Amino acid sequence: MKTLSRRTVLRGVVGGMGVSIALPWLEAMTDRTKRARGDGSAFPKRFGMWFFGNGVLPEQWLPAQEGAGWQPSPLLMPLAAMREHLTLVTGTRVATLNTVPHGSGPAGLLTGDSLAGNEFNNGSSFRGATIDQRIAASIGGETRFRSIETAVQTAQYSLAHVAANQRVPCEADPRALFNRLFGDGFRAPGEMTMPDPRLGLRRSVLDAVSSQSRALSSRVSAEDRRRLDQHYTSLRALESQLARLESNPPNLASCRRPDAPPETIADLMGRPDMRLRSRLMSELKAMALGCDITRVFFHMYSQPVNNTLFQGAPAGHHQLTHDELGDQPQVAAIIRIILEDFAGFLQALSRIPEGDETLLDHTMVLCTTDCSYGRTHSLDEYPLIFAGGRSHGLRRGTHLRARGENICKVSLSILQLMGLRASEFGVGPGRVTEPLSGLSV
Amino acid sequence: MLQCTTLRKYGLALTLTAAACTPPVSPPVDVTDVTSVDATATGDVAVRPPPGPYVPHVPRLRRLTRSQYRHSLQDVFGATLVIPRALEPDIVSEGSSSVGSSESSISQRGTEQYETAAYEIAEQLLREPARRATVVPCVPTAVRDDGCTEQVVRAHGRRVYRRALEASEIATLVALGARAATTLNSFDRGIEYVIATMLQSPDFLFREELGREQDGERRYEGFALASRLSFFLWDGPPDDALLDVAGRGELRGDELARQVDRMLADAKLSRGLEAFVEDWLRLGELDELTRDAVIFPAFAADFGPSAREEVQRVVRYIALERDGDFRELLRTRETYVNRRLASLYGVAFPVRDAPPTQFERVTLPESQPRRGLLGMAAFLALQAHPISTSPTLRGKYVRELILCEAIPAPPVGVDTAIPPPSSENRTLRSRLEFHRQASSCRGCHRLLDNIGLGFENFDAIGRFRRADNGVVIDARGDIDGVPYEDPAGIAGILAEHPSFPACVASRLYRHAWGYHDDEMQRAELERLTTSFASGGYRLRALMRTLVLGETFVRAANFAVLPLPPLPDAGAADASDASAARDASAAVDVVTATDVSDASDASDASDVTAEDGR
Repeated sequence: MKTLSRRTVLRGVVGGMGVSIALPWLEAMTDRTKRARGDGSAFPKRFGMWFFGNGVLPEQWLPAQEGAGWQPSPLLMPLAAMREHLTLVTGTRVATLNTVPHGSGPAGLLTGDSLAGNEFNNGSSFRGATIDQRIAASIGGETRFRSIETAVQTAQYSLAHVAANQRVPCEADPRALFNRLFGDGFRAPGEMTMPDPRLGLRRSVLDAVSSQSRALSSRVSAEDRRRLDQHYTSLRALESQLARLESNPPNLASCRRPDAPPETIADLMGRPDMRLRSRLMSELKAMALGCDITRVFFHMYSQPVNNTLFQGAPAGHHQLTHDELGDQPQVAAIIRIILEDFAGFLQALSRIPEGDETLLDHTMVLCTTDCSYGRTHSLDEYPLIFAGGRSHGLRRGTHLRARGENICKVSLSILQLMGLRASEFGVGPGRVTEPLSGLSV
Repeated sequence: MLQCTTLRKYGLALTLTAAACTPPVSPPVDVTDVTSVDATATGDVAVRPPPGPYVPHVPRLRRLTRSQYRHSLQDVFGATLVIPRALEPDIVSEGSSSVGSSESSISQRGTEQYETAAYEIAEQLLREPARRATVVPCVPTAVRDDGCTEQVVRAHGRRVYRRALEASEIATLVALGARAATTLNSFDRGIEYVIATMLQSPDFLFREELGREQDGERRYEGFALASRLSFFLWDGPPDDALLDVAGRGELRGDELARQVDRMLADAKLSRGLEAFVEDWLRLGELDELTRDAVIFPAFAADFGPSAREEVQRVVRYIALERDGDFRELLRTRETYVNRRLASLYGVAFPVRDAPPTQFERVTLPESQPRRGLLGMAAFLALQAHPISTSPTLRGKYVRELILCEAIPAPPVGVDTAIPPPSSENRTLRSRLEFHRQASSCRGCHRLLDNIGLGFENFDAIGRFRRADNGVVIDARGDIDGVPYEDPAGIAGILAEHPSFPACVASRLYRHAWGYHDDEMQRAELERLTTSFASGGYRLRALMRTLVLGETFVRAANFAVLPLPPLPDAGAADASDASAARDASAAVDVVTATDVSDASDASDASDVTAEDGR
């Protein structure tokens, strides 16, 4: 008796047409359900800040055309290929006080308030939580990490604030980020877990430590209590991270453990290899979002006032923004390098399929910097580039001219697009009660 | 507006207001018009009123800095203990990590890192039999031996928490140990979980120095005072002798003075000094130093650490070994170098074939203008751009860190460009002349550049040079009207400047308290400064004056409010997602606007937690 080969059976199943099935099984399944995950639920909405220091050159930044027909300006050329995924917002201004160069801008955009203290690079705090952390507080409980904070330029702290004086550290070492996200605590979809009694014990320890935190809280001032509350929250979040290890990982077709980055990244002739560092960080962050390890990030490509020595530049970045004359071609070259790396991150997101869309469609990214014109620290014509965010309802592929509008309208829009029930944003001159018109579809 | 020059001339300017030296910026000034009105040239003499009575600070929890964490564990468990490096970074606030330590909390990543470190250290403590014997003072009779576990807790708990443990705390730790030992069928594994619990506790990671309420104020005594003393003097925890005295309630009067003198004589004093210097002089920034390898072949990865080591060794030599006049730090020709720094400074290294980490004391030749702290690579390289020098950054460092003057940020809306090198403007001095003349810039830039330009003989990593762009450098200038010829002249002026000892005293005080604003404490700062001067500017004596002063044990009272109930009370083992949601609600990030639709039970606490100010 003639036996049927498996291949023949398959051919029979698809009607004898001789097609071979190229798609992995999970991909085929999600294809049927279009914009849903393997378990039928919708793909989550993500949000992230992509930040670089030292401002831009506003005249070379602003495109000549508004609306859907906009063409990239000289500075924005590195993003030309991603044009359909972008929403360029120009013309907004920071309405809160501009007292601290490189600090007042981000404070106004991210908290709607002015900055405390008078010298940003020596560490002065925002007066409240930044929008990314408000979003993380709202949706971060769904994932292993409420948010992740990363950097390309070596630095200790991000601009993200959980509250006044509670700045969030950032990870600038790709290998350390890999270990945190994809090391012991990570399981790819389908990976089995061996029951480990240590997990339960670690949770008991965290529970005991949380109780100690509460006991200490009962003896301290209101100010210190807020600090302990933050630690307590982190302890509880770590407990739930461990609990999550005992359940099944999310069923995400595109999630896999990425390759481990190198242990160290050498400088190139005494200059940091920003391109390589950025690429490694982008790949890790994209997969962290694709694996639903987190839904919120704050990425510090470089710090405010950073004096990074870019490849080919005759002086540090910050020094050039102030000392270079005329149209500042050296500064322009640095901004283009930065935006090339930003485009690289967007491409990493768009390479991860989610249903019949990509991770980029389900991630809203805001790329911005610490002032408008680096040379004068002005805060009019603030540079803002949204990317992705199709599932959020962002109007994409357009240049939205919002001349003179309070930048806090943008912040409020972000909160609302992320599903937070916010009806106002900002303090004093920063306060707004409506989002930026035209930003959402 | 206060007038800077006048104030400094009288040596009264401990701090200036942010408005000082800043010309009006609105409407924007045409910076090309160098003939417009000089906004700083007003002649009002503004003398500060004498200080009012000392106002005590509200005590704050201090988060252990990275060095304090390391010292705490090594003091308790042995100096050979390897401390993991991936830990919450120190936060710098207003230029100081001491201030940061009294404002910051522990982040999510930091909590994870402290957990990982706690288990790594606990495992290390029990791995080697010799070390294990110092940790476990008893022989367990079974996998679960609560008596022996309790002995372990009692042996180390007081050192780790820097206070006596309550019975309930001991019981909790013993119960945890019993559960872990039983689950993992090993007494030692049980001890690991006990130690890991202590090392993650906020009672360890934060210094609880809150004082006891008394007559409308708070006073430090007992364990809290012991902790305050030891972290200031030793940058680490109290030892058993100090805890014994504190536990008996005898840490006051003559006994307090005896303990302080014992601590000042202890080798660990150098750690306390090092922490102060690191904080005051911002040496931590040396970690991030990079230089172009083509332009600076002498630069390498160990440059920053070597430069930091030099500063610390010279300070230790002056303040501890010689117990000398601390002003020598600015004008001494003696310094400590390794081979890299010797070659940078152009002096012979006294030892042949020495490893790169070996430092030796050398005397710089009289013929060189390199003197003291401001001739060291740490200052010269840190206060420079990656390729070129920055007289402005160097001047700012001297004004702010050596003289404790506040220099405001440049005004917004001013074009800051300087002319490129040209046949008329070949040196940086001539290019910067613009900033010293333009009306919107000169208020501050004369203060800064008039000092900074005096260091132009040192390039962006601190190597001596005679010429800038082919033109012989003119390093002459003046500091507030007192002329100098070269950097050695600057060193001499600053060493005799009355603001320098006052500045050291105020930074030491800030380091002790972790407070940035000390305007209401000027009476104490002046007492310290006077004492510093009359004692011959000896830093060790200044530290003694500070900790034995009446203000060191005083703090302001604060209200302790009843603790609100937890939104997730009793939900510790609830499903992970909801636990995390509730936990995040406990933070004050969800403002009232987020919870306008107050539909679930946790919303009430969100509203009361409004804002972090």
